[in-house]
Amino acid sequence: VAENADIFAGLKILELGAGAAGPVATRYFADRGATVVRIESAKRPDFLRMIHLTADDPHGLDGSPMFILMNPNKQSVAVNMSMPEGVAVVKRLVGWADVVSENFSPKAMAKWGLDYAALSSDHPDLIMLSSCLFGQTGPQRMYPGFGGQGAALAGFNHLTGWPDRGAVGPYGTITDSLSPRYVALLIATALYHRKRTGQGQYIDVSQIETAVYSLSEMIVRYSARGEVIERRGNASECAAPHAVYPCRGDDRWIAVAVFDDGAWRALCDEMGAADLAADRRFATAAGRNRHGDEIDDRIAAWTRTFDAHELMRRLQAAGVEAGAVQSFDDLLGDPQLAERNHFETLPHDLLGDMLFERDAIRFGDGPPRLHSAGPNLGQHTRFILGDVLGLSADEIEALVERDVLV
Amino acid sequence: MLAGIRILDLTQEAGFLAGKILGDLGADVVKVEPPGGDLAGRRGPYLGDVEDPERSLLWLALNTSKRGVTLQLASDAGHEIFRKLAKRADVVLETAAPGALSELGIDYDMLRGDNPGLIQCALTPFGRTGPYAAYRAHDLVTVAMGGNSALTGDPDRPPVRCSMPTAYFHAGPEAALGIAMALFARENSGRGRFVDVSMHEAQLATLMTGPGQFARAPHPRRRGGSKLGRTREIWQAKDGDISFGLRGGQARIPNLVATVECMAEDDMAPRWLLDYDWSSYNHNSLEDAEIERLEAAFGAFFATKTRRELFEQALERRIMLAPCNDAREILEQPQLRHRELFTTIEYPEFGATIEHPAFFAKSNACRIGIRRRAPRIGEHNAEVYREFGLGTDELAELQRDGAI
Repeated sequence: VAENADIFAGLKILELGAGAAGPVATRYFADRGATVVRIESAKRPDFLRMIHLTADDPHGLDGSPMFILMNPNKQSVAVNMSMPEGVAVVKRLVGWADVVSENFSPKAMAKWGLDYAALSSDHPDLIMLSSCLFGQTGPQRMYPGFGGQGAALAGFNHLTGWPDRGAVGPYGTITDSLSPRYVALLIATALYHRKRTGQGQYIDVSQIETAVYSLSEMIVRYSARGEVIERRGNASECAAPHAVYPCRGDDRWIAVAVFDDGAWRALCDEMGAADLAADRRFATAAGRNRHGDEIDDRIAAWTRTFDAHELMRRLQAAGVEAGAVQSFDDLLGDPQLAERNHFETLPHDLLGDMLFERDAIRFGDGPPRLHSAGPNLGQHTRFILGDVLGLSADEIEALVERDVLV
Repeated sequence: MLAGIRILDLTQEAGFLAGKILGDLGADVVKVEPPGGDLAGRRGPYLGDVEDPERSLLWLALNTSKRGVTLQLASDAGHEIFRKLAKRADVVLETAAPGALSELGIDYDMLRGDNPGLIQCALTPFGRTGPYAAYRAHDLVTVAMGGNSALTGDPDRPPVRCSMPTAYFHAGPEAALGIAMALFARENSGRGRFVDVSMHEAQLATLMTGPGQFARAPHPRRRGGSKLGRTREIWQAKDGDISFGLRGGQARIPNLVATVECMAEDDMAPRWLLDYDWSSYNHNSLEDAEIERLEAAFGAFFATKTRRELFEQALERRIMLAPCNDAREILEQPQLRHRELFTTIEYPEFGATIEHPAFFAKSNACRIGIRRRAPRIGEHNAEVYREFGLGTDELAELQRDGAI
């Protein structure tokens, strides 16, 4: 048995919320043996279940590839939270759980009487974590933005693009990929703390704050020297050349980063450009930065005759830092990701085989264990209420009849 | 939360954040540098623009909550001392190229022989094994290989990266998480683990399941500049960029309606927009011309307002619109100020005070946040080496030999 899969065996996490920022975090635990139960409702579905939903979709809320791919190994319980009986079901599940992780807007949990003060009164070692864009306190806490706005507020949009053009922002919604790492870390650390002390706790995460904290260097540079870091394309302060060059084919590119003079000479050797290597203007990174355009033109003229991956292998073998700009298609065939078992095919009952991803952590005894696709809405309602909470078939039926379990 | 956990942090820049996070969670993190300081990690710009490794702002920003010692790992004496440190440590955190530490005689199996509970975390560009394990990569190459660059930037220019290292920002907390998991597991087993974290693999998280979606429906994707998918995501206000999604879905429609109301009050909503039926709005099914018409109307309104005016409206009316802040604006942001995100650290030897982000979360039970400023070179040699069991004579000898 892989030791890996067992790290969180027996751990019980109750998840409330939607989108990526909360759900990505609990996957680290679901993939390592924890039972993660999501509370959902068809009355107010997770927007990822509807992100590409069209009126004629035969699978409705259960057919969203993004939702399914983001939530494997989890169980779904459908509960209508607008009914007191629904809130009562969730309260019983809190009693079962070690951890409650939620990413609603700040007032939602309190509105249901599910805030930490209420939940911890008869569950003192409960670990509860709330993650929202701006945190649980403060004048702008109710601000309703998504990850796109998080990236803007935290500085990532301003920092991405070309100096002579407007901001573009990094692809995706970066606070939705950054903050879940911190959320998972906080849950894991709180579990460790509880194991050693018996103490639970409440943790308030602002997704924007995790991003600004990551950007500490930017904050410190402004505070210390009034420097506003601007977007500068692919240029670097400490490496030159440091750019993305064209390769053979449609929209094919290679990233090249030269951090020392030895790598510069190696690159010149590969290019057969003895004149560049001998040119004293280019002997240092500062000089190469000053004459960036001249050098970049020469390199681009050379790289465009090569296949990006072939050139990457050749340059890396010569000690030059280089990497193909990879498309989704490239990632699916990436031999390094294959070595790490990054992808895993699992069947989904409606959509067939789907390709799931793993995180970046390995313990040397096999990859994290993926066993089931993201759940259909309410797929595990009866199992969790019956087998876990011990409700009788009649009790469950009564709740169903009153429309509580939708 | 990590009180009493001793971490030896051997990292270069890519791993600074991981150690800082663990220190801010209460671990005793000891930064181990070569004598003279880790020059590669102590790059400019410098405080007061004086080129001095102790004034490196990168260093000062990302090595808070750590103590600092110097140690020449490449010497026999240094190697022996490291073994002594590791005997009493809980975690070794490193970013060396795969195999590089073993060449110095620092091998996990050996260290674990001395200390079965020891955890070692290697944060490397591509992981410890596999065809790319020996490849070099800092941020640019990691982001390119990880699939993000291809879709970032203007369509008529090369792919581009964020000008701050987002690969390290994802890998840092990922490595810290791997360590936290290993500590948790150690409580049951008593045994440490080797934690192998790949920056490249962590970078794929930014794609939000894109590769798996592509595998089902292989439509080639191109960089969209300021667009996200079909619709504009970044717009020009009167004084700079804002982020606003002209996208549909139940969760978003009320904010589109509120924006139109806001425009109407300024007489900037054309008749057709006032009559627009948002109830079934779906940006995926619109004609191109319809998207253009909507974008022109919203864009014209945004261009007449400052970012501050627009954000005030957004807060009041719950509109998903935000300014694309720069460093200055973030430091002045009222919500972040209210939550006291920034703390001032004094650097008396330079006559300077600097504001730092103080924490990444708040807990009602445990303090999360900066414990101490980044160490000067070898600042804690005497203190740390004594705690780890080295005598005064031994220390003096090591200093003479240049080992510390």
